[in-house]
Amino acid sequence: MIAVLGLVVGVVAGLLVRPEVPAVVEPYLPIAVVAALDAVFGGLRAMLDGIFDDKVFVVSFLSNVVVAALIVFLGDKLGVGAQLSTGVVVVLGIRIFSNAAAIRRHVFRA
Amino acid sequence: MSERDEKPTTNLRKDSGPKIGGQKDGGQGNRGQENRGQEETPTTRLRRELPEEVPSEFADASEEPEQEEAPAEPEAPVLTGRQRLLMGLWPPRVTRAQLIVALLLFGLGFGLAVQVASNSDSDSALRGARQADLVRILDELDDRTQRLEEEKQGLEDQRTELENSSDQAEEARKQTVEKERQLGILAGTVAAQGPGITLTINDTKGAVEADMLLDAIQELRAAGAEAIQVNGVRVVAGTYLTDSGKGISVDGNKITQPYRFKVIGKPQDLEPALNIPGGVVQTLEKEQATVIVERADKIIVDALRAVKRPDYARSSSQ
Repeated sequence: MIAVLGLVVGVVAGLLVRPEVPAVVEPYLPIAVVAALDAVFGGLRAMLDGIFDDKVFVVSFLSNVVVAALIVFLGDKLGVGAQLSTGVVVVLGIRIFSNAAAIRRHVFRA
Repeated sequence: MSERDEKPTTNLRKDSGPKIGGQKDGGQGNRGQENRGQEETPTTRLRRELPEEVPSEFADASEEPEQEEAPAEPEAPVLTGRQRLLMGLWPPRVTRAQLIVALLLFGLGFGLAVQVASNSDSDSALRGARQADLVRILDELDDRTQRLEEEKQGLEDQRTELENSSDQAEEARKQTVEKERQLGILAGTVAAQGPGITLTINDTKGAVEADMLLDAIQELRAAGAEAIQVNGVRVVAGTYLTDSGKGISVDGNKITQPYRFKVIGKPQDLEPALNIPGGVVQTLEKEQATVIVERADKIIVDALRAVKRPDYARSSSQ
C-alpha cells in the first residue's frame, strides 16, 4: 500500500514540480524509466508468487536502470544509440509483457 | 508484503551469495521459481541456475499450481496470488520493504511524470531527439534554406526583369503619348499654344483670293509655322482653299474678311518671311488690302479637327 502511495506521490510530484531535465540525463531518462518499469513488474510478479525480497528488488531496480542507461550511453558513443535504445526498449517490453502475463494469471486466474 | 516467503529465499541467498542471479534478472520471478525447486540442494544452486532458467520460463503456466503449494507447506494457510496482493495492499503496514519499494516507486513515478511532461511540451519536439537526428534535421533545414534561397534569387531576378520591362513599357507609353500630342498638333486634333504671330488681312475691296491666302500659308509653313488657324479653321495637311463668292472657303468652311491667321512658330522667322520684298505682305498690299503682322508671346490655336480615319491609305510600316 505504501509502495503504491509512493508511486502516486512520485507521479504527482513530477507533474507539479516539472523540473527541467538536465541535458546530460535527457537521453537516458526514458530508457531508465522503462527499465524501472520492468523491475517493478518483476517485483509485482515475485510478490504474487510469494517470493518477493526487498533487497533483490532494490538491487534489480537500480541495476536495471544503470545498465539501461549504460547501454544507451555506449550506443551513443558507438553511433548506434537510436538502434540500441530501440533494442533495449524491445527487450524490456517483452519482459514486461511476460511478467504482466504471470501477474494476470495470478490475479484473474486466467 | 509477504515476509513469510522471504525466509526460504533469504536463507538461500545468504549461504550461496546469489547476487549475480539477483541482479541479472530485474523481475525476480524466474529466479524465485528456481529457488523453490532447488531448496533441497542449495550447494548446486548456482551452477544449475543458468541452464534451468529458460525452461522454467516456458513451463511457467504448468508449474504454477505447485509453486503456490510449496510455500504453503511450512505455514498453515494456503494463499493465492490474489490474496497476497490484497494482503499487501490492505491493511497498510510500515515495514522496511514497503518503505524502500515506496522510495523506488516514487523515483519511478517522478521520472515517468517528468519524462511525459517534457515530452508533451509542444515546443520541445527536438528536445528528445538524439544528436544524429538533430544533425540530419539540421542538414535538411540547410538544404531547404538553400533551395528557398535559390528560388528567392530566381524570383527576384524575375521581378527585376519585369520591373525593367515595365519601366521600358512605361517609357514607351510616355513617348507614344508625347508623339501623339505632337502629331495631334500637326493633324489639328489637339489645341496648341506657344509663341507666334497673328496676321490680319483686311480686304475691304474683296480683292484677295484663295491663292493669295494659300501663298501666305505656304510662306508661313516655309518659315517654320507649326500650327495655323484661319478664322477658326485649323489649317492642316489636307487643307484646301477655294474661292466662293465674296469670300473664301477653307476646307468647305466659308470665311469672310478680315482674315485672321493665328500662327505658332518662331516669331523672328515668321514675321520677316511675310515681310520680305515681293513677299506675301507686299503682294496683298498691292491688292489694296491692309495687312497687320503682330508678334505675340502666346498664341493659342484652339480650332480642332476631328480625327479622320483614312479610307484607303494604310500605314506601310509594319
